[in-house]
Amino acid sequence: MELKIEHLSKRYPNGVRALDDVSLTIPLGMYGLLGPNGAGKSTLMRTLATLQEPDTGQAFLGDIDVLRQKVDVRKTLGYLPQDFGVYPRISAQDMLDHLALLKGFTQRKERKELVDALLQRVNLHSVRKKALTSFSGGMRQRFGIAQALIGNPKLLIVDEPTAGLDPGERNRFYNLLSEVGENVIVILSTHIVQDVMELCTNMAIIHQGKVLFAGSPENAVEELNGRIWKRSILKAEIPEYEKRYRVISSKLIAGHPLIHILSSEPPGDGFEPVTADLEDVFFTRISGLN
Amino acid sequence: MLAHFFWFEVRYWTRSTMLWIFTAIIALMVFGAASTDQITIGAALENTYHNAPFVIENYYSFMCLLTLLMITAFVNSSAARDFSSNTHQLVFSTPLRKFDYLAGHYLGATTVSVIPMLGVSIGILVAKYMPWVDAERWGPVRWDAHWNGILVFAIPNTFFIAAIIFTIAVLTRSTVTAFIGGLILLTVYAVSQALMTDLRNETLGSLLDPFAIRTFFHATKYWTVADKNHMSIGLTGLLLWNRLIWIAVGTLIFAFGYIRFSFAERATRSKKKLLDDEGAALANVAIPQVRASQGFGFNTQLAQFWGTLGVEFWGLVKTTSFIVITIAALLNMVPSLILSASEGYGNSSLPVTYKVIELVQGTLYLFLISMITYYAGVLIWKERDSATDEIQDAMPHAEWPLYLAKLTALLGTIFMIQCLAMVAGVLVQTFNGYYRYQFGLYVSELLVMNFTVFIFLAVLAFFIHVISPNKYIGYFLFIAFLIANQFIWRPLNVGTLLVQFGNQPDYTYSDFYGYTPFLKAWLWFTAYWLVFCGVLAAGSIALWQRGRETGWRFRLAVARSRFTGPLRAFAVLMTAAFIVIGGWIYYNTKVLNTIVTEDDHDRLQADYEKSYKKYQELPQPRITSVKYRIDLYPERRNLIMRGDEVIQNKSNQAISAVHVVVAENLQSNVDIDGARLAKNDRRLHFQTYELSPPMQPGDSRHMRFTVEKKTAGFENSMTNREIMPNGTFFNNTIAPQIGYQPAGELDNKNKRKKYGLPEKDLMAALERNCTADCMNTYISNNSDWVDVETVIGTSPGQIAIAPGSLLREWSENGRCYYQYHLGHSALNFYSWLSADYKVAREQWNGLDIEVYYLAEHPWNVPKMLRSVRKSFEYYTTNFGPYANKQARIIEFPRVARFAQAFPGTMPYSEAIGFIANLKKPDDIDFVYYVVAHEMAHQWWAHQVIGANMQGATALSETLAQYSALMVMEKEYGRDTMRRFLEYEMDNYLRSRGRELLKERPLERVEADQGYIHYRKGSVVMYYLKEMIGEDAVNRALRKVLGQYGYAPAPYPTSYALVDALRAETPPNLQYLIKDLFEEITEFSNRTTAARATKQPDGSYSVAIEVDAHKFTADDKGNETEVPVDDWIEIGAFAKPPKDKKYGKVLHRDCIHMKSGKATYRFITKEEPDKAGIDPFLLLIDRVPSDNLKAVDIR
Repeated sequence: MELKIEHLSKRYPNGVRALDDVSLTIPLGMYGLLGPNGAGKSTLMRTLATLQEPDTGQAFLGDIDVLRQKVDVRKTLGYLPQDFGVYPRISAQDMLDHLALLKGFTQRKERKELVDALLQRVNLHSVRKKALTSFSGGMRQRFGIAQALIGNPKLLIVDEPTAGLDPGERNRFYNLLSEVGENVIVILSTHIVQDVMELCTNMAIIHQGKVLFAGSPENAVEELNGRIWKRSILKAEIPEYEKRYRVISSKLIAGHPLIHILSSEPPGDGFEPVTADLEDVFFTRISGLN
Repeated sequence: MLAHFFWFEVRYWTRSTMLWIFTAIIALMVFGAASTDQITIGAALENTYHNAPFVIENYYSFMCLLTLLMITAFVNSSAARDFSSNTHQLVFSTPLRKFDYLAGHYLGATTVSVIPMLGVSIGILVAKYMPWVDAERWGPVRWDAHWNGILVFAIPNTFFIAAIIFTIAVLTRSTVTAFIGGLILLTVYAVSQALMTDLRNETLGSLLDPFAIRTFFHATKYWTVADKNHMSIGLTGLLLWNRLIWIAVGTLIFAFGYIRFSFAERATRSKKKLLDDEGAALANVAIPQVRASQGFGFNTQLAQFWGTLGVEFWGLVKTTSFIVITIAALLNMVPSLILSASEGYGNSSLPVTYKVIELVQGTLYLFLISMITYYAGVLIWKERDSATDEIQDAMPHAEWPLYLAKLTALLGTIFMIQCLAMVAGVLVQTFNGYYRYQFGLYVSELLVMNFTVFIFLAVLAFFIHVISPNKYIGYFLFIAFLIANQFIWRPLNVGTLLVQFGNQPDYTYSDFYGYTPFLKAWLWFTAYWLVFCGVLAAGSIALWQRGRETGWRFRLAVARSRFTGPLRAFAVLMTAAFIVIGGWIYYNTKVLNTIVTEDDHDRLQADYEKSYKKYQELPQPRITSVKYRIDLYPERRNLIMRGDEVIQNKSNQAISAVHVVVAENLQSNVDIDGARLAKNDRRLHFQTYELSPPMQPGDSRHMRFTVEKKTAGFENSMTNREIMPNGTFFNNTIAPQIGYQPAGELDNKNKRKKYGLPEKDLMAALERNCTADCMNTYISNNSDWVDVETVIGTSPGQIAIAPGSLLREWSENGRCYYQYHLGHSALNFYSWLSADYKVAREQWNGLDIEVYYLAEHPWNVPKMLRSVRKSFEYYTTNFGPYANKQARIIEFPRVARFAQAFPGTMPYSEAIGFIANLKKPDDIDFVYYVVAHEMAHQWWAHQVIGANMQGATALSETLAQYSALMVMEKEYGRDTMRRFLEYEMDNYLRSRGRELLKERPLERVEADQGYIHYRKGSVVMYYLKEMIGEDAVNRALRKVLGQYGYAPAPYPTSYALVDALRAETPPNLQYLIKDLFEEITEFSNRTTAARATKQPDGSYSVAIEVDAHKFTADDKGNETEVPVDDWIEIGAFAKPPKDKKYGKVLHRDCIHMKSGKATYRFITKEEPDKAGIDPFLLLIDRVPSDNLKAVDIR
């Protein structure tokens, strides 16, 4: 089974083009959607999660027309939105039980087992009777993944799931995701390049509603190999370098800017070659330099 | 530092729009109320200047109720700001003084909270200059009243409300608790309001009212129109005490808050506690392999409904706001349930179930409607507000289980509160020793009939929130809709309930017939709105917001895709049912019956007057005898009345045309011998018959008529409520009336103006030696004394009663017939009743005493019988013989609330008297009094009846009051009379301030000035009796009776009474007749000092200093002082025994007094407790409380 997205476009009433002719084919396994904030990732994910409507285009999950057979999509969908809250005055267990019921699990006893297992899986079992409102950010995120996993979804959409998590939690979260992702389609959106590198077999880079790249991370990196050069410079020199070179990124290392430039020829001028990584791909793509 | 915090608050709030919006709202409300007649706040401004000092202060006092929540919001926000915005750690780490911090914020917020109140002044000041206002109804600008309003109400109320809320807010840091504080103040206000309904608790109520609204009412209750226009009250008397008490309460609470408040403690407690389980994050356990079956069919949806219902219901019930509002709503109900005195004279009713239910409805339902309004928004927006919408919307559930679960949860909470109210009602009944609970009535009224309205409101609120782009617009739309639905239909002249959302026909439960006659219409209209709600529900489900797309194009597309299968079938079914039921209702209400709106009716009345008033003075034949044949079919609410009247030309000219007014809503047929129907105005119910040959003076002939009431289908609003399946009560005004009837004219002054009618004539001015103007009684203009005979048939199981003695009783065709004959000619004014009665009988000197009552209401029947007996004793001894052979008291359903005297019969509503609670021995026996009053009418009205002229009711109502007082005094003694007269005096003095036209002296009282002919009448006649003696008064009355009893026209005027009394009054008291009857006289008497010294012989030498002043008032209440040259009593009382109000009379003496101060001395045998002038409060005095003073004993 795969998810085929064809020519999705969406323009908001304020004129923002959230999706601009997006076409993707997403196979089983982890799929990364990489893009800066506001790139249109969430719009795309909500559209796939049946919560938004594109102006044009279509999407198919196997045989299911995602835009028309919403109910069928929802039956096999697990969705973890980017920002979500919780009901006040309700415990984790009760809320999860309620959501499981909404997912169609009507047998009380089975549902309880399911909820217990999920809570154990995300390690919230010991606090299952506590009010959700008292949970820390990490705990809430885990609760979020627990609810997304109800009913073994075939399509799992997680939108910026690691925002606000500390590195340790992030790792464990990804471990969980990758286990799940073996037999289902997992779409993961993030603006953190490393996440995709570590987890995803396939990816797409989205910027201003457009797909700038789709494919495997390895391929993406391959393209740039031998064309990325770095140099440490002074802050004041940045404008000058930007004029002379195709600077794709600049970050501070020990207080001095370290710039990466794109060049097919060795630029000299103190530049050293570096092995391209996904970050370079990302910045190259979104700055439109390739 | 203090100034810094103060100015910070002031700047903060004056920059917020909320403050100015609120000020504008209040200014606009007052502006509207002052400049138009359509908008009212409290009572309409009908008789005072629109900017009278009284009006200004009244608005200031009332506005506190409105600003209470605003003050709470402001002050709470000021107190909590540093915590809620998490700046407290910054602020509290700076060195600052606690006092400066608290007092600065508090004073700043308080000062700002006063600003919206000034809207009252702004509104009134501006309204005066609007071009459309009537300059005559505006007085000069009275700055002192504005200032008093601010000083007495705005500032103190804001000060202490703010102190309480601020303290709660800084100590608990909980908005909800702060609002509870506000609600508790409202409850205290409700308690004080309930206390005020009993004269005995007025002072307590006045002091207890936290907003001084009731206190202001108490202080001004005897103000006349002139007083209201000219006087402005400041901080004096009880008003001052009330303010001091509540300012002290505020200060104490603030001081408490100041002592308890601590920066450090607040800072730590405010830290949010979040669970954290670092390190315990995700364990590496395998993905759970739980075998669970997932389903999506109808059974799943049903399970989802039940599951969601639980979550939503408990989610609602567990919120603090819900608990608070519920408690407040129930608390609000309790004072009126426990305290309300509703029978008059400080009496209460037995807590019969329908009354308890009415109290619940009156106090609780506003809360319930508010809850539906508020929680509908909360529930519909719950997912989006808590940001769980994306998770839930992506779940595979259908929409309807959620919709229905939320709706059911909301209605479930309402249902729960109704059950609590029912329990409270039953408890109140039990505590009052009343055990006829009528659970069926509770259930049908609270849990079924009223509940349907809550269903309508909830479904509508849900629908509005579903289509609304956000919660606040939803609230606005819903409230706007409710207001429009309430107020728009009358101005639009729409009468049918078919378009008034959720409106059901009104109904009145009665123990006589239950709901039966109203049920059919109610059921159809309810079904109609329920299926409409079904349509709304289908719409809500189809349009249910899911996901992020809010555009209407998309939502409609989604709705179309959802609109299949069962939902579609349901919607189609509901729509079809809506149309079919609507058609059926239309057929019943508009085809089988008619709908007459108030405007329609006004227009009919106006046209009637315009077209036919010209016939009013035409000589017309007069009725001399009537035979009725009445067939009543109570179950079907049908009636056929056949009448055979003998009419006679008593004038001195020939009559060639008879004008007849027939009753609306009834089919009438008139047949006059030798007459031809020349004109029949069906619209205005006016017929003209030409007589050939004309009736010559002295001629008699028959006028036969049939009046038929045929109930067909059901009505929009039931007419002819006199005819009921059980408990029919109608009188002879439904028969065709000869001649133009002024009773059919439009009364309301403004409406008359609107339809271009001249100001309505008041009664003819009182005149002496009156002949031509005195040919009609004030009861009838087409008959004098008539003979009456009735045959009346009704269903078996019911007793039918007509005026007179029962001659014969028989059964025919399975129906029961009764023949009655009135032994003595009587006023053409009598009634017929039929119901399943129990009868209590007694005899007194060969006269039958009968009480016809419902078996369920036996409580006060013995008292009624006794009162009739005692009335017979007194009246036959002192006035003259009784004209009939029986006296009947007959209970009738509570479609009306009065007791009335017809010849020998006294219909008495089930809502009064029969359910009066007379268990407390100290209470005034209201039942005994009313019966004695109606009995007295058998002499005063049915033997002597006044001409249709000013003062007519002094002959009937005032004398009936006097007679009843005498019967009561014989039974209950003087002390009870003193208390009774306190209520009468209070009522008179209060009511004259509400007089819309002109207050008249007693001898010129207008027919509708009840406060004069009843209340002042009691006071005046009792005083006269005290001064000239009971025998002298009764001699005068016997003389009136002897001269005018059953006398033919011309009828007597009040001069007959006044002259007879004057003749019995000794020369030195002749001034009394002028003061009591011819003028409006008031006193301002007070005792300034009372001292006593014990004499060696054990007696006491008492000296009192008194100050006496006398005034006459004009018809607006403007007073002119006149010299006192009167005989006024002084006296002294011993200390009252425990539980008694009055002590033994130690001294009583009548002294000739002059205006001003004087000292009087006397000796008492025992130790005096109180002494003073006019000790029995016999004179009309606006401050009765200072007549007596505690005696200072040396």
